[in-house]
Amino acid sequence: MEYLEINNLKKKYGDFSLNVNFSVKEGEFLCLIGPSGSGKSTVLSLLTGLEEADEGMIVLDGEDITAKSTQERNIGLVFQDYALFSNMNVEKNIQYGMDKKHKSSKEISEQTELLLEYVDLVGYGKRKVTSLSGGEAQRVALARSLASEPKILLLDEPLSALDAPLRKRLRTVIRDIHNRTGITMIYVTHDREEAFAISDRIIIMKDGLIAADGSPESLYNKPNSAFTASFTGDGTLLDASLFFENQTGSIFFRPESVIISDEPVNPQMYPSYLVINNVKITGVEYTGSHYLLCVDYNGSFILALSLVKPSRNYVSLLINEESITRI
Amino acid sequence: MSRKRVNGIYRGLAAPALIILFFLFALPLYFTFSMAFSDGLESIRSVFLSPYSYRLVRFTVIESLLSALLSTALALPFAAFYASYDFRFRKMTLALSALSFTIPSILVVLGFVIFYGNNGVLNNILKSIFGFEKSPVRILYTFSAIILAHVYLNLPVAFNLITNGWMSLPKSEEDASYTLKKGRMKTFFSITLPKLRGVIANAFVIIFLFCFSSFAIVMVLGGSPEYSTLESEIYRRAHISLDYSGASALSIFSFIITTLALLLSFIGRRNEKLVREGGRIRKAEKKKTKVMAFILTSLMLLFILPPMLSILYRSFFDRTGNFSLESWNTIFSASSFLSAIVNSLVIAIVASLLSVLLAENIAMYAVKCRSRIAPLFATLPLATGSVTLGLGYNFLAAHIPFSSTCLDYAMILATHLVLSIPFAIRTILPGAKEIPERVSEASYTLKKSGFETYIRTERPLLRNYRRKAFIFAFALSLGEVNATLSLAGGRIETLPILIYRLIGSYNYQGASALGSVLLILAFIVFLLGERIGKKERRWNTSK
Repeated sequence: MEYLEINNLKKKYGDFSLNVNFSVKEGEFLCLIGPSGSGKSTVLSLLTGLEEADEGMIVLDGEDITAKSTQERNIGLVFQDYALFSNMNVEKNIQYGMDKKHKSSKEISEQTELLLEYVDLVGYGKRKVTSLSGGEAQRVALARSLASEPKILLLDEPLSALDAPLRKRLRTVIRDIHNRTGITMIYVTHDREEAFAISDRIIIMKDGLIAADGSPESLYNKPNSAFTASFTGDGTLLDASLFFENQTGSIFFRPESVIISDEPVNPQMYPSYLVINNVKITGVEYTGSHYLLCVDYNGSFILALSLVKPSRNYVSLLINEESITRI
Repeated sequence: MSRKRVNGIYRGLAAPALIILFFLFALPLYFTFSMAFSDGLESIRSVFLSPYSYRLVRFTVIESLLSALLSTALALPFAAFYASYDFRFRKMTLALSALSFTIPSILVVLGFVIFYGNNGVLNNILKSIFGFEKSPVRILYTFSAIILAHVYLNLPVAFNLITNGWMSLPKSEEDASYTLKKGRMKTFFSITLPKLRGVIANAFVIIFLFCFSSFAIVMVLGGSPEYSTLESEIYRRAHISLDYSGASALSIFSFIITTLALLLSFIGRRNEKLVREGGRIRKAEKKKTKVMAFILTSLMLLFILPPMLSILYRSFFDRTGNFSLESWNTIFSASSFLSAIVNSLVIAIVASLLSVLLAENIAMYAVKCRSRIAPLFATLPLATGSVTLGLGYNFLAAHIPFSSTCLDYAMILATHLVLSIPFAIRTILPGAKEIPERVSEASYTLKKSGFETYIRTERPLLRNYRRKAFIFAFALSLGEVNATLSLAGGRIETLPILIYRLIGSYNYQGASALGSVLLILAFIVFLLGERIGKKERRWNTSK
């Protein structure tokens, strides 16, 4: 039995309508990604009960929580804008969510210290939350949510307001907390790199619907649609008829699946590759670790990765057929 | 552009406003204080040592505290609901509460006498329904009448201020609390209330000060010396006993107390930058919520409307209850009526325009230069009370070796200006706080000077607040009776002065007819303001 089951959850706002159906295993780290307005945050609002669903059912740990209030659901939420209580210091923020009835003050302060250690903020307990940096504030928000011991922790684009190096550091902190506590997490982001780096499984959303659901590897290597393919990374989408006779639809491959040769290649020698000889390079982008080449092939553009800067304007390409996805 | 240079511009703009305010406020106060010391320390000593003074203080403080406490406490549940849900008639009720904000206190007095009076509308209704022989509601000329009238006048003020303040609170902190398994009550007391404290305290202090210096309500609805407040006693000593030094000494006494209250409220307030958050209001969809909306709206309307409507009603019925247009005929044929309308309108328009102009510059200076002294200083007239100020202007006029109608007008204008500036500043200040720093900085990077930025970028953002401040100042001036009465000594007649006299001679029908005119004038200005506001909003969104 799945830990969280979301059955035909529907919500309509004006022109936008959400309709999702998915489940989450206990201890899983699920990422919801998708463009702005795809309904990711709405899913979180419906799960927490901050918004009421028009239809559908939410079952958590075998219990139907659809009609329950936010307080009764036992689902934690880390907000994008931190939502720290500015009238309380760091320690009070964390302790606010604790179940203090069954804890002595010693236990409360020990648990607070432990949570501060989890988020790498030891010694910050008495600090005013208004004096914290964005990264520190988000870590306090994380500790505060954990303090309430939720069954599931939802994170709504928690790192989107932070700079890139800090985002990288904090996502490691979040994953580390997940590994240490084993808590089930649903993490919303629009950053695919973040989703790939952190999650066990990814759901891609588009226009209120689930566009794809799978492991980061499967979504990247075998996308189920052009949207999933383009949303999960760079790649080339071409008409299948360009290479295969009597075939309809499209083929998709990643830039790293393309081998570049300065010299023309005999296709007979590479039967498991599609060979394209003497095509013109129309653009070169340096990405830091590679060069991303844009090559013109009969008016369509192919992306390819190269470790060295090309010395000629014309190159030949070999594309491994195994890496090609038919869409 | 450096902060120092930018601040210089706002200082330069606010300086004339502050100097004008200083002279308009400090000069009459100086004369009042001088008068208090005219017989050495005799008057001061007798006032400060007299048990009667402390009895007055006790009564004034109790009635003001009780009125402010009841008004804010009663407003809270309404504000909580109106800040959370959208439903039919919500905007209309909020607009009506803003309108009753602008109803002159003299009309409240009149409305109360007519509605709650021994032979008033309420008693007549109860008698006809239940067949009582005697009037069951006998509230006039009691302490309860003063409190009820103050609450009536100020509940919409508190409701409006708190609802608007509540709507601007970030909702995410409350949501965070709910996700941390805390219920509504715990969330309200731990998260919402601490954030709302400033808004509630602000409403409380405004209402407290307003009730502290309340004059017409205490004089007419209290009715007996037992219910004298500091302000009414100052008026009595100055204008009935002609004990000027005693009245002045009492003014000092009153000024010290209200200034202390004002200082306390300023010390407790944090200088927070306002961030207006959207998306707080949800549509009332559940049946339970809709029923609640109906109950709360009905209660609010039942509270706001009857006394006002009864003024209109009473203007068509004579003392014996027969329909009569006599009072309307009388007022329309009296020459004093037309001159009173012209006087009222001219004074109100000039005073409110000047008030908004000065208040805007002071508010911008206070926000940009992070000055806490400027708004405090500009709020001092609120603490002084209109009778004290009127008295000061009287003494000032006595030092001017000639008397003319022009001088009377100028004096009245100056008093109205001083009395309305604090309200105008309090209205514009939140708007000034809302102007994002980035907007001004963007303008500087586009090579616009500090002054140009102020005129072309920041001032237009205050348009809505200026409009509100104008309506507020206009209504205050239109309904002002205390200072005008004590200052011009009846030489300049305004509508409220005529109403006051008619109430004094128990001609309620005539007072109601004039009151209806005053009410309609306030209503027209309010509607015009709302219309302009709506047009501006439409224009802004269609751009």
